[in-house]
Amino acid sequence: MSILADDLEQHLLAAAPAGIQFRTTTDAKSVTTGWCTLADKEQLVTAAALLKALCARLMTITIFQPKAPPAPAVKEGETPPPPPTFFGGLVNDGKAYEVSYHFDVDGDALTLTIHVPGGGDVESLTPLFRNADWPERELMEIYSIKVRNHPDPRRLFLDPRIDGAVLERLIPFSTMANSASTKGLWEKIMAQTGSKS
Amino acid sequence: MSNFTIPVGPLHVALEEPMYFRIDVEGETVKHVDINAGHVHRGVEYLATKRNVFQNVVLTERICSLCSNSHPQAYSMAIEQIAGITVPERAEYLRAIADEIKRVASNLFNTGILAHLVGFESLFMQMMQVRERMQDIKEAVFGNRMDIGANTIGGVRYDIDAPRAEFMAQQLDLMVPEVDEVIELFKTNRSILTRTRGVGVLTNEQALDCACVGPVARAAGVSYDVRVKAPYACYDKLEVPVHTLPDGDVWSRAMVRLLEARTAIDLIRQCLADLPEGPTVATSERPPIPAGEAIARCEAPRGELIYYVRMADSPKPERVKWRVPSFMNWDAVRIMMQDAKVADIAIIVNSIDPCISCTER
Repeated sequence: MSILADDLEQHLLAAAPAGIQFRTTTDAKSVTTGWCTLADKEQLVTAAALLKALCARLMTITIFQPKAPPAPAVKEGETPPPPPTFFGGLVNDGKAYEVSYHFDVDGDALTLTIHVPGGGDVESLTPLFRNADWPERELMEIYSIKVRNHPDPRRLFLDPRIDGAVLERLIPFSTMANSASTKGLWEKIMAQTGSKS
Repeated sequence: MSNFTIPVGPLHVALEEPMYFRIDVEGETVKHVDINAGHVHRGVEYLATKRNVFQNVVLTERICSLCSNSHPQAYSMAIEQIAGITVPERAEYLRAIADEIKRVASNLFNTGILAHLVGFESLFMQMMQVRERMQDIKEAVFGNRMDIGANTIGGVRYDIDAPRAEFMAQQLDLMVPEVDEVIELFKTNRSILTRTRGVGVLTNEQALDCACVGPVARAAGVSYDVRVKAPYACYDKLEVPVHTLPDGDVWSRAMVRLLEARTAIDLIRQCLADLPEGPTVATSERPPIPAGEAIARCEAPRGELIYYVRMADSPKPERVKWRVPSFMNWDAVRIMMQDAKVADIAIIVNSIDPCISCTER
């Protein structure tokens, strides 16, 4: 018997009236996992408040940029099909973020997912769930997403001198290693080949 | 009374891994703690998206050495859910055995370090000696003392034959009185009790508020253990007692760890007695992994470990995210240190059994 209430879907829909996509799976050990995608990212806070009232525990937050599906070949004269979208209507252009909030409800897991346009923002859950603090700080440093009303929006793991959004940029190895190894290697090669610097 | 700001770390004799604490003290009393992390941030989550599903079993084992079995186990469980692979029953038992072996070694290591920090060096050495039996078992069964490489997608990579089972049973029989002796010492020895009783208190309410996990939460009366609440492997078939204590101090956390180490020995014995016959892996070939997403959780020695995996149409995962138990418990350290004595800082930090390379990935 699942701990997730049977009418949880109705309650979540009431908390996020713009629309939800809800499904559950139960494994062989009777552990239920619920997946709920919200159409409107602004209704995350009301949905999370509902879970808080159910004594849910925020386990962690996942963020990533789903890859856009390849554009279909369009023949001349035909109108191209509309671009693929996420639930809720946001275009999947490869820049949008998918942010998943994983909750635990006394052993069962429930994931709330929202989609945020590239460089967009999301409301902080830290006032509701104290432990959202670190995961939200991590979101802000690995992607250029902004978390509104975060009480302490400092860097978490990365030094403030490093440019943010590290997972959105290609960082050459020589830049990452501060050219330290490359310069030494370069000088060695120059010395061996006898070239003048 | 004078106020100071003292730095502890990033490199400090009492810390095994780098972490920086900026501590405001008033006389001898800690007034405010600021934690600065990131000294061993390696970007392993990024690396996981550059390797294929099977290579990641090896990668995740190398995130941390003390809970090195829990990472590939939770990761494999997530992939098995996506691909709909059913793990054979024998493999489920073998997974639980590997899990519990690591738990005994990890918990004895942490409580042994506590004995060292309170200056009880002979007890520290005695506990490391007890732990050494577990290391011997690991070496005999897995061929390795830390990264045991037990898990693979669809099952396990090792098996226990009769001579090995006999060796394990014999070592466990020798360990039980030794662990009981250590537990008794922790309950009665004055130098341990005076340094750890009532120190670094985390109340039940605060533990729930910080969403603490593992022995840190259970020592504050939060009865949550993934093995019981969301069973995996063969834990639904085993008797798993959940040890909770009401006080939430350094001593309670050490005691919960010792009791769990003792319980883990019983669980290994249960598993060895019930070990069913059969294959140890679902398929001998590498199964195709379809697109999908899954969450998997397991109880690492430090508490709940959660993996989220998203697969797209590629052999490489689109995202692998994990949250280790230590990540949740750092916030609680700031509460525990409030109004603590400067001399107790190291003991309090050690009491959450911090794993920094896990936290920062």
